[in-house]
Amino acid sequence: MRSATVMFAVALSAITLASGVKAAPPPLPEEPIPSEASLPADYPQGWALIQDFNFNSLVDGRTVVVDTGNPAQPLKGIIRTAQFGNTLFAPAKHEIYTAETFFSRLTQGERTDAITIWDTATLKSKGEIVLPGGKRQQSVTYAGTFQFTNGQKWVLISNFTPAQSVTVVDLDGRKVLGEIDLPGCAHIYPTGDRGFTTLCADGSLTSIQLDDKGAVASSKTVANVQDIDKQPLFGDAAWIGKTAWFVSYHGQLQGIDMAGAVARPLAAKLSVGTAEGGAPEWRPSGWQVIAADAKGLLYVLMSPAGKEGSHKDGGTEVWVIDPATGKRTQRIALSGGATSIAITREAAPRLIAMRLDGPIDIFDAATGKPVHSLGTTIAFNPTVAIPVP
Amino acid sequence: MAGFDKLTEKLARGLARGTSRRSSLAWIGGIATGAAILPVLPVSRAMAAPHSAGHNRPPITSGNPQDPGDRSQCDYWRYCAIDGFLCSCCGGTVNTCPPGTEMSPITWIGTCTNPADGRAYVISYNDCCGVSSCGQCLCNRNEGDRPQVRPQSNNDYNWCLNTQSSVYNCSAAAIVGVAVEK
Repeated sequence: MRSATVMFAVALSAITLASGVKAAPPPLPEEPIPSEASLPADYPQGWALIQDFNFNSLVDGRTVVVDTGNPAQPLKGIIRTAQFGNTLFAPAKHEIYTAETFFSRLTQGERTDAITIWDTATLKSKGEIVLPGGKRQQSVTYAGTFQFTNGQKWVLISNFTPAQSVTVVDLDGRKVLGEIDLPGCAHIYPTGDRGFTTLCADGSLTSIQLDDKGAVASSKTVANVQDIDKQPLFGDAAWIGKTAWFVSYHGQLQGIDMAGAVARPLAAKLSVGTAEGGAPEWRPSGWQVIAADAKGLLYVLMSPAGKEGSHKDGGTEVWVIDPATGKRTQRIALSGGATSIAITREAAPRLIAMRLDGPIDIFDAATGKPVHSLGTTIAFNPTVAIPVP
Repeated sequence: MAGFDKLTEKLARGLARGTSRRSSLAWIGGIATGAAILPVLPVSRAMAAPHSAGHNRPPITSGNPQDPGDRSQCDYWRYCAIDGFLCSCCGGTVNTCPPGTEMSPITWIGTCTNPADGRAYVISYNDCCGVSSCGQCLCNRNEGDRPQVRPQSNNDYNWCLNTQSSVYNCSAAAIVGVAVEK
């Protein structure tokens, strides 16, 4: 077949020459194979890791590396984040971590929960840490179920059997340090030098500091942080420095200072504000509904169709609030709507607006103007974005 | 606001394809919260999405006038608090897991009003586990849903717990009794 093709090409050029037509250009050069791409070990600030829940095949969840400034080729690479997986990013170590669950025969067999360590340049696995007990919490993506502590040397993982606990893992030592029971409490917010805060079912929070072996060194509960019936807080927070900013289903903003050993709810009573045009009213709505930029502004995804049960429907605007003044500084209209938002750390920050059915749009965070759409070129079900810090 | 309707539909479709499965299913302890009768909700436009409930599918009915409605649609009366792929579209039935799956023993309970007899029934939403995501007839409602700190009223967890495999396939909705009116 190949020789026939070559002969045809020779014959064709002979005809071309004989007829006096301009000579054909030389053939395209041969290209070396195998050929595999790699990424810069340090990602630019316009990039982000985006979790793809992949609902129609949860066993094949992914995390995608995305260049938000490149509409032609935004998808830079994919790592596995199987079965309700979670993702963490440690740019200084050039590593990405995923917390995952596997069965030895894909859907059946022996269960293994593990943290996989990925290289940022090759997107290949550098190793794993197997987690004991087959109890890793599986749920739609929340940042608060997989978090760093101890200067990113350790990670904390939520368990749910449905008994609740947290497993402490030494990333540098590649080993599990221990497990802390947390009955009635959920999610992990890094607190102090080596500890975390968790939100509890009675509306309180509990802050725990760990000793150098990963065991509980101190524990302190702060009551009445939220009213879960009337003003429940969305689980994922936006961080400004070491203050975690939460928004409630009705739009109240609550800052919690996590710098010390014990979390300290800020006294300031802030709100996203109100606006005309709600039916029945504007409320925060979506999945990752609150984000912060490097300057300390908060961005909240809002829906005008706010009512009981609307809190995961997604929004049509992003409201920008300066928590230093309590004032709303801007309303950004999202042409395609969104269910999750994030802000890049570029000098001119951009708003990443993602929809759970795939489309991702990019806006100028300062002006609110659309920059470009990345369409449905990146992920099946984007849930959470981690912009490069 | 005409434009907004379209937008809402888009958003809702997004949710329908993508989100919060999970779980539905909070504990048996949910019976207590289930005592409040939840209204049967209007059809969500979310379900117009491909592979979601309502997509050009002939109706699946009981044939019993006392149990009316299409079991492939999110507005079927028993699904007033469901979240996930409907087992009726996945090889099972409204109250039975598909072949090859295992029904989770840990469930979330909702209370739904049957429009035919006006009674409020306690519905057990059981996950079916051990086969990959069904991917058909997704329904998601969040009335009464609260953050994960309150598991019995949060539908983001995977409730394939205490089953041989935690791989989620679909959710069934079985009548487990008549609710006592408050």
